[in-house]
Amino acid sequence: MTGETTSAIVKRCEAIFDDLNFTLAREWKEAEPGRKVIAYMPVYVPRELIHAAGMLPLGIMGGGDNLEVIHGDAYYQSYICRIPRSTIELGVSGRLDFVDGMLFPSICDVIRNLSGMWKMLFPDVYAKYFDVPQTYKDEVGGVFYTNEMREFLHDLEGIAGRKITDDDIRASIEVYNDNRRAINELYALRAKQPWKAPASEAYLVIRAGLVLPVEEHTVLVREYIAAASAQERPLKDNSRVVLTGMFCEQPPLNLLKSLELSGCYIVDDDFILISRWLIGDVPTTGDPVHNLSQAFLHSSMSTAAKYEPDQEEKGQFLVRAVRETGAEGVIFASTSFCDPALLDRPILQNVLKAADIPFIAFKYAENSGQMQPIREQAGTFVDSIKLWSAA
Amino acid sequence: MTLVAGIDVGTGAVKVAVFRVEDGQEEWLSRCTKRIRQRDPLQLSREAFDQALEDAGVAEGDLDYVATTGEGESIPFHTGHFYSMTSHARGAKFLDPETVAILDCGALHGRAMITDERGKVTNYKMTSQCASGSGQFLENIARYLGIAQDEIGNLSTQADDPEEVSSICAVLAETDVINMVSRGITAPNILKGIHLSMASRLARLLKSIGVRNDLIMMTGGLALDEGLCEAMREQLAKMRGVDATVANHPDSIYAGAIGAALWGAFRYKKLASSGQMLQAS
Repeated sequence: MTGETTSAIVKRCEAIFDDLNFTLAREWKEAEPGRKVIAYMPVYVPRELIHAAGMLPLGIMGGGDNLEVIHGDAYYQSYICRIPRSTIELGVSGRLDFVDGMLFPSICDVIRNLSGMWKMLFPDVYAKYFDVPQTYKDEVGGVFYTNEMREFLHDLEGIAGRKITDDDIRASIEVYNDNRRAINELYALRAKQPWKAPASEAYLVIRAGLVLPVEEHTVLVREYIAAASAQERPLKDNSRVVLTGMFCEQPPLNLLKSLELSGCYIVDDDFILISRWLIGDVPTTGDPVHNLSQAFLHSSMSTAAKYEPDQEEKGQFLVRAVRETGAEGVIFASTSFCDPALLDRPILQNVLKAADIPFIAFKYAENSGQMQPIREQAGTFVDSIKLWSAA
Repeated sequence: MTLVAGIDVGTGAVKVAVFRVEDGQEEWLSRCTKRIRQRDPLQLSREAFDQALEDAGVAEGDLDYVATTGEGESIPFHTGHFYSMTSHARGAKFLDPETVAILDCGALHGRAMITDERGKVTNYKMTSQCASGSGQFLENIARYLGIAQDEIGNLSTQADDPEEVSSICAVLAETDVINMVSRGITAPNILKGIHLSMASRLARLLKSIGVRNDLIMMTGGLALDEGLCEAMREQLAKMRGVDATVANHPDSIYAGAIGAALWGAFRYKKLASSGQMLQAS
């Protein structure tokens, strides 16, 4: 523990967040000859495999609100979300020129198309559309996903120029288990004492894990938890809410701050979902690829980013998140044309209605600058909870 | 007994109200207003808050709930924050319990609300981002005409041939006014024309949220502008199916602060009844 204050830690994380040249990842690569960096987009890839290959997994969450998109707009229709356009902008502007591979996880057709564009734009860089199962039966989705991961491992061995052993993967699983434990501890603190760990700070701390080596990030998260727990901050009469729908294109930091200023304590969310996608520890004995596959199929978060085959179970994950964190309402926030979030929204809202949980919904983009309408909506939502709810 | 303070940080001024609430009786102990005039609103809030506490003879530590509204959510010593609409609606009900609709006209925008008998906002609409419905726009015009702000209302009521201005865009409206001055149109007729233009937009907002034969309470910084109130009456009278009464109150400017304080007291009682005591911080 370094004894850093929360503001010093958050400042460090904000510098990483603001750096669209990914300087820390570049420095990591240059520190030793032969090091490789594999980038990935939202929502989920098994980073354990990249880590086991001795490479740095680098999360690319779009360009945020500080990147001017010039070239990227030529590749997608204007009504499409912004993340594919700003990611292209990052690529063609040379900001990702040090990256040795790029993964496009299965989340929607837009990202699927982006993987094809990437292959045409950067033919010398490894690019893979990383498919995940939509069927959760072991004999179907399990076999498919295990094969998908083994194919990816084979590709990684080609890039690394060495064999990746099961022991390598098991060691990496343990490192990521520890990282998830630390992040879950941070979420537990937020649920219990949200005034001590504001979502806008926690977001930056977790987001830093997309650039830093995982071991370093785990230490950082625990430093923040220690500092935030020790710091006295006044408890306000705010309402506890769960924020959902932000699993792919990330919200601008000002949006989170605006929600908090409007009187929301954000006690749970689904942003930077890769950090918490798998629930609990992945076993570190036995076949590690099989273990990762089993964790994905049977022990992963059931958000709108994942197909839920059981209609009875649909939305119950969100209801449980509300109950377990003591939340008083749900805020649906999604980007324009976000198929997974917007198609699930009415289904989830019906589940919330049945559970008597109040909610509101709005749209955003990673570069949204006008927060007044969002503040208005969130502010009146919080007022209605505080003044008119039965509790 | 519950002691509460409401702090309304507007675009033009900070308003503070201190209340004692006991057995349903709401006693207004003190008030303070400070115009911002390019000064730090947070610092001014502290000064106005201290002044109001001193006038009420109440120590800060005795307060059960410090509620902010408007742009006051960054004030570090608040217990809870209420959105402006919620506060203005409650404040207007305090000023006149017969109030059904509220027209909050401040420096930045106009907002129409309709409430139920508890003061809960059931519908609302606000002017878009265009500044031509705002007090700031009116201030700018007064500056062009070389008249003081508190003269605007009185001059407007003296108009004999109001000159229409653009009701769409503040920039175009300001150009209109410059043309009017060069054409020799009198200040009362220019001001009345502007008031009618603003009132036309605000009246449409009120009708669209369902206001018909109701008492409309004006709140916010323009509530005491008699020229605007008169223009509102004229524009509403032209609307088919609307027979509303436009009222204001000498303390209309405090509606936000009053509402915040009273909701603070309500919230304090609600939290206390569920065993969740929250100290004013």
